[in-house]
Amino acid sequence: MTTDTLPPGFELVRPRQVTVRGLEAWFSMQPGEQALVSPGEAVVRGAPLAERRRDLRTEVASGPGGSETQPGTWWAGRPARRGAIGRIGQGELLFRSGGRWRVATGELGDPLTAPFSGMIGTVAPGAGLSLRMEAQALVGADALGGPTVGKIHVLAARDGHVRTSEIDVGGAGAILVVGATIDAEAITRARAVGVRGMIVAGLGAKERREVIASERRARSGVHDLPPFAILVLEGALGRPIATPVMAVLTALEGQMAAIIPEPACLIFDDDRIAAPAQPRGLVRVTAGPLAGLEGQWAGLAGLYRFAGGVVLEAGLIRLGGRQPLPVPLGDLERFA
Amino acid sequence: MTRAPETLAVIDAGGATTSVSLLVRIAGHWRLMGSLAGPTGTPESALLAVLVGRLRDADPELGKHPELRDTALDGMPRLAARSQPPETLAVIGATRRTVDELSIHAHRTGWRVVTASTETHDPREMTELVLRRDVSAVLIGVSDPPGADERAALDDLAALAGAAARRRPELRLLLSGALRARRSWLDALGDDPPGDPARITAAPIIAGRRGTGDDLRVALDRLIDAPDDGRRGLRATAESLAELLDLRTEVLDVGFHGGARFLAEPGVGGAGPTSSGVISTDGGLAPVEPDDEIVDSVLAWSTGSLDRHRMSDRLRELRRRPWIDGTGEGARLRLAAASAALARMASLTPEVDALASPDLTVVCGGAFATAPPQAVALAVADTIRRVGTTQLVRDHARLLGPIGTIEDPAERRLLLADLARDGLVPLGTLVIAGGAGAKPATGGRAKTPYAHLSLESVGATVERDLNAGEVAFLDLPPGVAGEARLEFGRTIRFGRRTRRVAVSATGGLAGLVIDLRDVPLHLPERRDRRRTRLADWSTQAWPRDER
Repeated sequence: MTTDTLPPGFELVRPRQVTVRGLEAWFSMQPGEQALVSPGEAVVRGAPLAERRRDLRTEVASGPGGSETQPGTWWAGRPARRGAIGRIGQGELLFRSGGRWRVATGELGDPLTAPFSGMIGTVAPGAGLSLRMEAQALVGADALGGPTVGKIHVLAARDGHVRTSEIDVGGAGAILVVGATIDAEAITRARAVGVRGMIVAGLGAKERREVIASERRARSGVHDLPPFAILVLEGALGRPIATPVMAVLTALEGQMAAIIPEPACLIFDDDRIAAPAQPRGLVRVTAGPLAGLEGQWAGLAGLYRFAGGVVLEAGLIRLGGRQPLPVPLGDLERFA
Repeated sequence: MTRAPETLAVIDAGGATTSVSLLVRIAGHWRLMGSLAGPTGTPESALLAVLVGRLRDADPELGKHPELRDTALDGMPRLAARSQPPETLAVIGATRRTVDELSIHAHRTGWRVVTASTETHDPREMTELVLRRDVSAVLIGVSDPPGADERAALDDLAALAGAAARRRPELRLLLSGALRARRSWLDALGDDPPGDPARITAAPIIAGRRGTGDDLRVALDRLIDAPDDGRRGLRATAESLAELLDLRTEVLDVGFHGGARFLAEPGVGGAGPTSSGVISTDGGLAPVEPDDEIVDSVLAWSTGSLDRHRMSDRLRELRRRPWIDGTGEGARLRLAAASAALARMASLTPEVDALASPDLTVVCGGAFATAPPQAVALAVADTIRRVGTTQLVRDHARLLGPIGTIEDPAERRLLLADLARDGLVPLGTLVIAGGAGAKPATGGRAKTPYAHLSLESVGATVERDLNAGEVAFLDLPPGVAGEARLEFGRTIRFGRRTRRVAVSATGGLAGLVIDLRDVPLHLPERRDRRRTRLADWSTQAWPRDER
């Protein structure tokens, strides 16, 4: 069956891109953190991109004189405050007021490293830097933490739920694919045993808050914990991972990949892996009572009255061998 | 000579969905043939092709029109409004007080607002804020003259502004005059400041004894470059409608990127129409990061039993994919979010609330596009609490935004004159009486009725007793007019203090809605009681409630 022979209206279903190539990742920095690369510079995987700092704060320093010195430049010298006599400080010049510089500084932390090889795009001191990568990316909805690198290990089926007891030290250094949902305890345990990342279909607000708080605690500690990230594929509600997405993750089993936060995606550089060709007319239900199910497009149903007396434009989808069912067009997606 | 086009595609590309409407000129007048919306990203040409296909099926003769051939669709003239995600404005001041004053006005613009002050943020944190990639403009202000609590921070703020201007040559900067005069500003900026000098402008005075904030709002709005934004066009449309229909017209809009509320009045004595109201990103359906305040505000209008976490999850979903889950519980949640957004708009526009009830209220925006008519009427009655009578209509095909982008008022008015009937679906008439008091504490009906309603239409009379705190929906179909007489047991407010009210009502899909609840609406603080009260009212508004 070709696209031409599909029942009409298929193009009204929103397309979803499973993988993209050649994206530009953005790594946020804060004033006081120092970029170690320049625009146009080529970097390899693991190369340091920037110095991260903990306990970031403002110091007041006499600083450099003259009009040549600009805000945003890196400076090392003696802070002006009384308790700092004899100590040499360094940091980013913020602005000069009352004859003294305000300097952003902090304690040296683990460096930010390149998750994959690429070319540095822009470097904005105090704001971040961009890295253009030729590797492929599996597009997610959101990412917490990161960037992080690890070997992909599929721990659960696409509609699975991983319990705390299923996570052990065997997962150390890996990025675990954990199915539809995961609870906060399992995430905490994963962090503790050295898991580098998780890929999950849905992550709720409660779990999200706990992960963010845990990350904050980890960053403020004296000893840095290894980087950790969660890639959320769908959103806040738990649904099975889409079949084409799961196919890519399964093919990546045992291979190195990286989760980056901006844009939220999983980066991998094996050109042989791609989203498998889908059956023509495959659509997935993204919301409502049939959420997560996948079926075959059977044409437009026109305006249809749904629960709650709501009248919406609908499409017909065939699930298995059953009669086509009307589903709101907005609740459907197809795979580009 | 070029022949005038006979067809027109009107496109409203919003943040969540894209709506395409097909207009055809018949006997010299534009008529709406149909409209269709799809999630953002759906090709407009595909939506238009489906619309034309349906038109051909419904009217084969009209479908033969040369401009409706498949090969001609790409060349069909288009009138498009395209919504852009709001940009972020950082509002910075010396004290929390000043920042609050500034941000009140900034929130009444199309900017998303983040704030910082020297009392709450150190120089590093403020620098981080102005360097953020999503921040595209910075407003740094102090009182005029600077207050005693601000003076110590003036140099720091001026130097921060100068550093920001140097580090980000594209950043737009509004700066108080008191800061521009500081030496630290001049030193930081240097002799040769980078970027376009016009990007740095003086912030109008708002604090202290001078200034109302209107100038600041205008200045901030001028910074937004979005000539084809439909929401910005709504003010012009509201004015044209008021002039065309000779009615005081209010436009209420809740969309993905923000909301709008405008009240336009026809001109008097040859003068043009006037309007008041604002656009605000706070009026959006689901803010980017739903904090506890937002979650609670939606829970406050929800009749469901979601807890805070689950509601937060649902709002995140609504933000990420606002086109999904529009049925059943999802539809109710969407309308609860829309009610919360309308309530935010109402709190941002007290000057509009203070005006008399408009003759016509137009409900716009994707948030209301699919909800049942009675539920939309109830959402308006819940949140826009103003005694009086108004006729409710819905911009079901989302024409008003695109029409508002037409610069020529005469041309805009001509198109509206043709489309007002097709494009505005009557929802009915809303009557709100003030001073009626609360519903009886027992929750049931009072022993003696509070008011007696008599509705006369098409030769028949409907009589009904009403209680205080009641919302009543009475059938009055579209196209039917009637006269409603209300007799109250005690004096109420209805523009004046009275016991008898007679209003002309026009029919609609929701009929005649009589609202005898408090103005402003007081709801129980306890969540379960509040939910029960809301559920009582919404039972009438949601057809075939499965809950």
